[in-house]
Formats: sequence, C-alpha cells, structure tokens
Amino acid sequence: MIYELIVIGGGPAGYLAAERAGHAGLSTLLIEKRSLGGVCLNEGCIPSKALLYSAKIADNARDGAKYGVEAGNVALNHPVVIKRKNKVVSKLVAGVNAKMKKNKVTVVKGEAYILGPGPEGYKVKAGDSIYEGRRLLIATGSNPIILPLPGVKEGLESGFVLTNREILDLEEVPARLVIVGGGVIGLEMASYYRSAGSEVTVIEMLDHIAGPTDSEISDILLKNYEKKGIQFKLNAKVTKLEGNSAVYESKGETFKIEADKVLLSIGRRPATEGLGLENIGVELDRGRIKVDDQCRTNVPGVYAAGDVNGKSMLAHTAYRESEVAVNNMLGKKDIMRYNAIASVIYTNPEVAGVGETEATAKEKGIEYEVAKLPMMYSGRYMAENEGGDGICKVLIDKKHKKLIGLHMIGNYASEIIYGAALMIEMEMRVDDVKELVFPHPTVSEIIRETIFEF
Amino acid sequence: MAQPVIMPKQGQSVESCIITEWHKKKGDKVSKGDILFSYETDKASFDEEAPIDGILLDVFFEEGDDVPCLLNVCVIGEEGESTDEFNPNLQGDSSAAQAESADAERKESTDDSGTQAAEAADGEAVSDKADVEIVTDAKEIKISPRAKNLAEKLGIDYRYAKASGPYGRIIEQDILALRDSGYVMTPSAQAAQAGGLEGITGTGLGGRITTADLETPVRPAAAASPVQAVAAAGATSIDEWLVVEPEYEEVKVPRIRKVIANAMHQSLATTAQLTLNTSFDATELLAYRKKLKESMDRLGINNITINDMILFAVSRTLVNHKDLNAHFLGDTVKYFRNVNLGNAVDTERGLMVPTIFNANLLSLNEISIRARKLADECRTGSINPDFLKNGSFTVTNLGTLDIESFTPVLNPPQTGILGVNNIVQRAREVNGEIEFYPAMGLSLTFDHRAIDGAPAARFLKELKTNLENFSVLLAR
Repeated sequence: MIYELIVIGGGPAGYLAAERAGHAGLSTLLIEKRSLGGVCLNEGCIPSKALLYSAKIADNARDGAKYGVEAGNVALNHPVVIKRKNKVVSKLVAGVNAKMKKNKVTVVKGEAYILGPGPEGYKVKAGDSIYEGRRLLIATGSNPIILPLPGVKEGLESGFVLTNREILDLEEVPARLVIVGGGVIGLEMASYYRSAGSEVTVIEMLDHIAGPTDSEISDILLKNYEKKGIQFKLNAKVTKLEGNSAVYESKGETFKIEADKVLLSIGRRPATEGLGLENIGVELDRGRIKVDDQCRTNVPGVYAAGDVNGKSMLAHTAYRESEVAVNNMLGKKDIMRYNAIASVIYTNPEVAGVGETEATAKEKGIEYEVAKLPMMYSGRYMAENEGGDGICKVLIDKKHKKLIGLHMIGNYASEIIYGAALMIEMEMRVDDVKELVFPHPTVSEIIRETIFEF
Repeated sequence: MAQPVIMPKQGQSVESCIITEWHKKKGDKVSKGDILFSYETDKASFDEEAPIDGILLDVFFEEGDDVPCLLNVCVIGEEGESTDEFNPNLQGDSSAAQAESADAERKESTDDSGTQAAEAADGEAVSDKADVEIVTDAKEIKISPRAKNLAEKLGIDYRYAKASGPYGRIIEQDILALRDSGYVMTPSAQAAQAGGLEGITGTGLGGRITTADLETPVRPAAAASPVQAVAAAGATSIDEWLVVEPEYEEVKVPRIRKVIANAMHQSLATTAQLTLNTSFDATELLAYRKKLKESMDRLGINNITINDMILFAVSRTLVNHKDLNAHFLGDTVKYFRNVNLGNAVDTERGLMVPTIFNANLLSLNEISIRARKLADECRTGSINPDFLKNGSFTVTNLGTLDIESFTPVLNPPQTGILGVNNIVQRAREVNGEIEFYPAMGLSLTFDHRAIDGAPAARFLKELKTNLENFSVLLAR
C-alpha cells in the first residue's frame, strides 16, 4: 500500500501531524525509533515538570515558616520523585498511542531511512520493511550538542557525563553537580537538584544566563538562584573533563571544579544525519532542514516541522508547525508565524516571555517604549510571594501603539503568558488591552497594571 | 415637497449610465450643491449634485447599477414624506417599463418586495438583529455583485454584513463597514490602514490583515518559498508540483476597457489596414516652436506643442486627400467636407479620442486651445460623450514616450490614422559633407479597401513637405 503521508519521528511535531492527518482521512504511517512523544514527553518538557513540581513543594515546605507553616524536617525522596515522574510519562505516552489508534495512524517502531523517490512518492525503510508515501513529514527533532572535549566521550560511557536524557533518571542525587550551559535545560535541572540537595555549579560561556531572555529578568533569576545556593561561573568555558572534575577557563585563568556528575546542556542540534535526506535532495542550512513559511522543504511533497527545521526548537512551535504542514498538504493555505511564540522557564520563580525583548527590538530597528512594574503590584502575588522580587515588562511599538513584547518573572507566569501571546498575535493596541477585564485577584492583573503605565 | 433626482442624459447617444459611487446615503441631510452620486457612461464620468436642500429620503439604485437615463435615482425632501410615487421599481407605469432594461437581479428583488420592503422600512432595528444572527443559507442573502466581489477580495464572510441597501440587500458600504468592525483586520492594522486593501494578503491569525501586511502589500510568496524542482525528486508524482491555488487578483473589466477592446478587435477584424513609415526634417518645426515659446506671453497665445503643429499640418493636408478624410462604409464612402480631427489621449481610464471639429478652419492657436481643453476633460472624465465621436481622421502620438515607429490601429469607419513618433538625430550627406538633423517619424495606417498605397504615400509626402516648411504652410 502507498501511504498518503509518512511521518518520520513521533515527537510533538510528528505525532500531532499524524493525528491531524489521520483525522482528516489521510492514510498515515508514523515511524518512531524510541517511544511516542519524543524528547518532550519522555526526556524533556514533561518529566522535568514532574521533577520541578516536587522541588517546588519541597521549597515551599522549607520556606513555610515565613507563611506561618512549620513543617520540621523536609526531605525530598528522589527515587519516589523519579518513580512518579515515570508514571506520569507512561500515562501520557499511552495517551498518545491511543490517539494514534483512534485516528487510524499506523505506528511502526524502528529507525527510518529515506531510500529515495519511488514510482508514486518516496520510499522509506524502517526495520526490515520498505514503505512508500506520497508525502513525507520530517519530524526527527534534535539531539543534545556533545562538546568534542577531552574526557567527554569517556565520561558519557562511564556515566559521569549526562545529557537531558540520563539526568532525569538518576537513581541518586549527586552530591556535587556541575552543569555546563546555563540555558533552559541547565537552569531547570539546577533548580531541581539544588532543591534535592546537590551542590550545583553552572558554568556558562556568556555573561548572562537563560539565553535570549530579557537581560533584566535573567539578572533577577540569577540572584534568586544564588540565594538558593547555586553557584554560577559566567564568562567561563569548559576545556576538559577529567577524573571527577571539570576544568574551565575564565578571564585567561584556568580553574578546576570537583564534580560527581556533569550535565551537558549547551544546546541542541537538529537531527538530520543518517536519515537519507540526501537521497531525495532535501536542502539543509547549517544542519537544519530549510523550510518556507508553509513548512515545505525544497522537495515537492516533503515537509519538515519541529526542532529539525531549527526555527524555534520549542514543542509548542512544533505543534503549530505540524498543523501548518498538514493543512497545506490538505490544500488549506496556512502559514507559520513566529512573532508570538511564548517561551517559558519552569524554574522557581517561573520566567515567561513572548515577542520582542528590548535587545531584539533594537536589533530590528523597531521604535518601542517600555513600561515595567514590580509583580508586587498584583495583590495575589503579594499574598503568596513573601519577599518576591518579580517584575513585568511590556514593550509597545511606538508607531502602531501595539503590544510587541511582554516578559515576566514570578510564579504563574507560565500560565499567564499565553494571554500576552494572544494580544501580540492579534496586534492589540494599548487602548484595546486597557478595555480587557482581568479576574481579580490574580497575578495576571500585573499585565493590566503595566499597560496602564503607558 | 419631495423632489426626485433623475439620471441625466449625457449626450444624444447615451441610453443609460452606471452609478459608480454614492457620496450620500439614505437619511443623510443634503444641501444644494452637495455631490449625491457619481456615475459614468462608456467614456466619461460625472458627479450629480443635489438640486435642493433636504433629507435624502430614498435611494432607488445602488452602486454598480446601470440606470436608464431620465429615470428617478433618488428623492430629496422633508422627513416623513412618502417616496413611493417616485420609486421606478414600484410603479407600474411607463417609467417601470423603462426600468426593465436595468439589471434583472434588481427586478427579482422587486418581486418579493412585500416582506423585504417592510423590513427595510424599519432600517436600524432589522440591522441590529442581523448582528447576532448569522444567516446560514446563502440563497437567502441578497448581495450586490459589487459587494460580493469586494467581500471575496477582502476575504470577508459577507454573511456577517448588515444589509443597508434597498430591500435588505448587502451593498459595498456594508462590506466596508464589516471590514472596519474588525472581522478581518487586527486592531493595529485597522488603525494604521489608510489606503485600499487591494492585493494585500492577510497573514495574521485566521487570515487577518496585520500591520506587517499593510507595509508589504504583496506577499512575495514565490520569493520566500525555497520550493524548486530537484533532480533527485524528478521521478516523483508531478502532481505535487501543482500550485493548488495560484495567487491572482481578478478584476472586472471596466466599461471603457470593454469598449476599447471591442473597437480594437472590430478594427483589425473588419478592415485591410497596413502602415507606411517615413520621417521628416523637424528643424523648422522645432525652430518655430522655440520662437512661439519665447513670445508666448507677449502674443497671448496658448503653449503650442509639436503635436498641435502636426494636428494643424494634418488638417491642412487632408483637405487635398479626401480618401483619407472619409468613412468607408462598404457600399458607400462618406467624404467629409471639413476635417474632424480625432486626437488620441492617454487617460488613467484608458485611451480616449476627442474630436476637434472643423480643424481645417481653425488657426494653430485655436487648434492648440481645443486640443488641450478636450484632453483635460477626457482626463478628468467630464468630457461630453458627443465629442468622442464623428471624427474623420485620427492623430495618435507616442513620440513623447520615445517610440520610433509603430502601427496605429484604425478607428473604423475612418480610413486613416497617423502615428507621430519621437525625434532622433539622423545623418545625411549634403554636398559631400555629413550633417546631422532632427528627424521625426510618422506612421500612417490606412484602410487598403478605401485607398491604395500610392495615394496614401502621396498624402504622407505632402504632409512631410508641409511640416518641413511649416512657416510657408502658415502663410497659406
């Protein structure tokens, strides 16, 4: 049989595309080499959230005295946390499997390899079978970048060096954890393992943490982390790993730091190798599959969605890209917009932002105005965050008086940010937002408060 | 006392006119002299002014309607006055019979005017209801073709529109109101939008037009797409290369374009036309023009152009070549006593050819004044249509656009049309020496059914002589 669509990769982009295509009546084959749900569900977004929630409960319990609640000796039982995490993951994976079944998607376990064009489409090998599909969706995601430094390879083999995959399944809490890379993954794991009792040191090459996050907000986050006892080595570059230590250079000097485990979290790279993309001539750009705003590659009928196209590398971007790809396959014109994709760091406190930061607005030459307020302007935040120092920052475009960016640090930010994304996607003006009613008392009211600063 | 406003008759030959735009709507207060509506004939457009002060009580036709001349278009009067007696759509008398030639669709809505008219009577109340209620059966929705086109172009679901036209019909302004209410544009885009939305593709949520779309009117879909055929994929199904919905803009052909299209095709299909090309030494013409220009104010004469001078020379030369100042009608030929000279004018709306009647009897200054005035009126659309016919010969000038030679298309039943080209420096030998002179090209198309090549060439030769000795021609 010839499938109308073969999806390679069962992560957020792949499984959602298969679900949507199957629902629309396309005969769909989904090939996944590990477990449905991909990195997000198995070794990324979801398991880390399970861990972080346990950490948050522990933090709150330890911090309870400030709120008049004394809990005595609070212990975080790491093996139980991991067990619960595994339960959450397996339930969700089962849910994805059920969705595939419901939408008549054929799921094949195995590593996919594109053999080349076939008489009516493209031939893909998985396991011992060869399948043919009229269209292909490449959704193979990304892999952690492994630094080619001395000691890394050996460390990975011995279990001394970890990636996001292994660190979520550690049986014991390492006494000393060194995290290379202060991005989202590094910071979230630092947060959990610090709460779980590790001595955590984050080594970051740049002069700030949290990558492209608004610099003022990443400074606040850094201070909060330092208060918790997490050490930061900024402007520092790891040069080698040896024995039970990591060696790094900073300002021309070389330092050595002892560690029981080292987490590599310097970034992720699209997974485009070993797929046979060259057999059908799919064009790559620095290792990423090149796509247009309809998620089409240069090869007719071949689409790419999710991390593999390197556009934004977030699960929610992948969801939307996969829908755009499927809609275009179905002849419904749909385009991908990247200007209102929120990004969240689920640390404690949470960080969330959407749209332009001051840095990106300057870079693009947008004339903007900024307003910011401490989160304490929200009554709910005040009531629940003793000593909280969160802020909310709003950027507007001077010309159109419309919202172009909103960034906040403070708990619930992750749940509030979609509202700001909606405002940006709808190009709402300051005056439009002023007419919205926010429920009281909620932390979300901080948006309303800040908007009235204009 | 209520007073109807009729569709004026613009020129003897005009039977009906199309309302292009309403500047006032039903219920508006109007003052004498206010522009009520704009309308156009095949060839020109006009504004109709309010004859009295009052309230625009009723409007019987809408934009896009082709209204027979002298029929009531609207009524102005005092609040509360009945307008039924003026409504050509309701009357069973002669004016209703006249209205039959108006579009059939409108007649259809007249048929079920019972309920519809009653609904239209309490205007606002009905519209407010329509706000919450989406009519799902498309067949029940009355919408003017113009409104429908616009809705399609803007990607607006016209079912949401509040109908404000006669008999509950959705008209163009309702679609514009719907657009402004934000169904298709983001609030920022709406605030920023100044011009029209033609050619703009919405790339925002649900296809909404965003501020970015306004700034880049035409989305470079092709350029942004890396899609291209790749050799390795050569064997795959070529159906995938199909663009399912190629992007285009479909625009109705304006009436004037239809008229031109028809005339051009008729000309080439029914005559035996061919073109002769020559050039003349424009030294004297240029020198004379320079002289005129220098003394323009002193002599109180018009700014005479090279084209005016050619019109003058043609009018004088044609008198000796009656075969080219004629209408060839198949069985008979009409030879004109005087030269009614058509002068092709390029306007925004298309090619127009006003006639300078009895040009051979006019002075150069008079020809210049008339040519300028007629051209201006063509460009503003206020030309009396009777000036756009009865020419006996035509001059068309592409020289200002740097054309060196072309084949003008005859305007039958005329037998000739002269194309005027640009001036180029050409070399010639005089007494064994090479000298340069300004050469201006002439392209004469003639109908070989009416006149043979040699007499046509003789006309050109005489014209050439006259132009090269322009001051002698003036002295005659």
